[in-house]
Amino acid sequence: MKMETPMKHRPTRKTKETAELAGVSEPITRRDMIGGVTLAGVALTSSLIPVSEIKAAPQAAVVTAKSASAFLPEQRRILEAFIDRIIPRDENGPGALDAGAADYIDRAFVEFLGAEKDSFAQGIAAVDAFARTAQGGPFAELSPEKRDAVLTAIDGGQANQLRAFFNRARRLTLEGMFCDPHWGGNKNFAGWDLIQYPGVRLLVTPDDQKMSVPVKPVHRSAYDTGDQNHGH
Amino acid sequence: MAINLKPVDVAVVGLGAAGGVAVLPLTRAGLKVAALEAGSWMKPSDFKADEVHNNVRRMVTTGRKGWNEVPTFRTGPDQPTRRFTIPPMMNAVGGTSIHWDGNSWRFHPWDFKVRTETIRRYGAGALPAGSTVEDWPLTYQDLEPFYDTIEYEVGVSGKAGNVQGKIDHDGNIFEGPRQRDYPMPPIRGSEFIDMMVSAGRKAGMHPHRGPAAINSRPYGGRSACVYHGFCDTGGCHVSAKNSTMVTTIPAAVKTGNLTIFERSQVTRILSDDNGKITGVQYIRDGKEYFQPAKAVLLGSYTYENVRLLLLSKSKAFPKGLANNHGQVGKHYIAHWSGRETVALFPKDLNIWYGALAQNVVVNDWADDSFDHTGLGFIGGASLTVNHEVHPIAAGAGPTFNRAPQWGSKFKSYIKENAGRWLGCYAQVNSLPYENTYLDLDPEVKDPLGDPVCRITSGPKVNEPRASLHASNKAAEWLKAAGAIEVNVNAGPAEGPNLSVHGVGGTRMGNDPALSVVDKYGFAHEAPNLGIVSGSVMGTHGARNPTETLQALSWRTAEHLVKNWKSIAG
Repeated sequence: MKMETPMKHRPTRKTKETAELAGVSEPITRRDMIGGVTLAGVALTSSLIPVSEIKAAPQAAVVTAKSASAFLPEQRRILEAFIDRIIPRDENGPGALDAGAADYIDRAFVEFLGAEKDSFAQGIAAVDAFARTAQGGPFAELSPEKRDAVLTAIDGGQANQLRAFFNRARRLTLEGMFCDPHWGGNKNFAGWDLIQYPGVRLLVTPDDQKMSVPVKPVHRSAYDTGDQNHGH
Repeated sequence: MAINLKPVDVAVVGLGAAGGVAVLPLTRAGLKVAALEAGSWMKPSDFKADEVHNNVRRMVTTGRKGWNEVPTFRTGPDQPTRRFTIPPMMNAVGGTSIHWDGNSWRFHPWDFKVRTETIRRYGAGALPAGSTVEDWPLTYQDLEPFYDTIEYEVGVSGKAGNVQGKIDHDGNIFEGPRQRDYPMPPIRGSEFIDMMVSAGRKAGMHPHRGPAAINSRPYGGRSACVYHGFCDTGGCHVSAKNSTMVTTIPAAVKTGNLTIFERSQVTRILSDDNGKITGVQYIRDGKEYFQPAKAVLLGSYTYENVRLLLLSKSKAFPKGLANNHGQVGKHYIAHWSGRETVALFPKDLNIWYGALAQNVVVNDWADDSFDHTGLGFIGGASLTVNHEVHPIAAGAGPTFNRAPQWGSKFKSYIKENAGRWLGCYAQVNSLPYENTYLDLDPEVKDPLGDPVCRITSGPKVNEPRASLHASNKAAEWLKAAGAIEVNVNAGPAEGPNLSVHGVGGTRMGNDPALSVVDKYGFAHEAPNLGIVSGSVMGTHGARNPTETLQALSWRTAEHLVKNWKSIAG
């Protein structure tokens, strides 16, 4: 018998390989939105890109510094003002901004979505330009009501050039709201508490799967087990 | 110049769900096997209870091969070509059996003879226009012993519905007869599962627990499932999911006859002037090697199998290996499947945890288990509701026109309802068509300079009709369970294309003019080349394909062992 020594080849966040490997835009397919099985027989239509853009798309930028922002300060302010209206802070608790969704998105563009960054940044600029025309001021400086009017116009089909950005920014906001806190979002488990997701348990009992008895939430990241080995 | 290695008996290309099974009968019989795998070994601590890691970013993989070779796609020869952004498969020792969901089904006996059974019952006019469907060169009965072998060697939990003709209503009463029950009882139930079983019965259907290659009790020296809810596109941290990484591959290693070459990407299969396969060429850590072998089993995924054959041109095979009849890439089938029916309930379902394979399935509207007279389609779909929903997917779910997609009203809606909806998964009996095939993309290349695979998938009529028919039945089932909103989607107009259930492309058959491999999986034109993959399938059943391709792989490997001198001598 001859077998090679198992080699640890799992990408970690800091490596160049990871950035390249994960340099893809997460497809927003209908089935991604409505089910657990995401790829089985799925038409990934909205993740398709024209062949002319292929050279850029599956490759991501090389990570240069972990702490660097993917965005210019002004871009980041506009992004924050936008996602603040996707899930606002209100009587139901913290909003997406409080939960760190902007940090999640920023880090995602640094570490994984480098190839998509330029088009996303163009979307941010286009939202701002639309706001100046439609609401008379820079988007980030508008009142919540006026920013809502901008989102209503986009969502209502009055600015079709912003539709793709709206969908992408919304999806990334939800990722930042409901992700494991390890990735920078869902701070203080605000997202999981909002939707009553009971948290990461490495061993789930029959009682934990009952409908009739509420499950006590666990506030723990999958990466908080000390050895990062899933608790085992 | 390639470095020449010492000859082996068999070179296996790809050590995933199929190749990972085939190595066991080969090595047990004493054949010396070299397995070339593009990925490397993973271990339980590589697997995370994390939706971003598993599902959003698909980080459960090793190496970059899959990402480098994502196929392109078009809906017809005159249509624009586009490219997907994520690969359908992962690379590692164990392949995609590491992050599959474990739904381990047999195909229905009807799937093996769709053509003759349709003509017999409904007439030749009932065959869908443009379909190239042929009967498989083997029947369900021929494959049954190998299904049984896989269920016991790999480990499958389930409840039989038909043991040697004896029907048990707790199992799938529509399944083909089996020689014995599964080695393990179904994985754990729940109040949700009880609710869906009882609703299905109330609606006059025959719901049952689906079979899962997941340990419901300790089996094969590994523990039972802990139901933590990160099975889908994730690896199992307690090795309770029966990937080939923890089952057949380690068993083959123990024989002493298997050498695994990690990080080894096969670039060509070589043949001599007489058309005999001589071995495989591969790249490992930047160096090129030639591995001579008396026989080669090609076990990568459908797209890569077709691509490798088309790239492996030689004097004997100027159009690509085993392609002198122009059949390589033809009869490709992207499994028509999706969560077309979504439902909202007035209470929390608590289906966060568990596994996708912790499910309830209705098979009443699949295969030819009901009369299709006047319906305008053949086949149908299985219907599945299941556990394992992750928070991002839950929050991004449908709102049933009850709330906008953003803002405080949206937030208030998901606060109440993110845990109260589900999607019912419909998997359709899917056929091959003239307008749907694989070839090499004329423009897009991988980093080695080789063209990637191109999918051409034209519109179909039969499959969307079958899907919609079944999904409307799913709506009845979900309403019987108490759903307060049910939406049925028509499905994508252009149909599926890139798929984790992509099969065909190197079809099995008796006629070399209509198929690439014979009924045992060996190429008509190159008899010492076997193909172990879903790419040999001639139809796709209404259920997940893995157990069927594993049963076929075992059968192909066993055939090689029993006929070693005539095939490889």
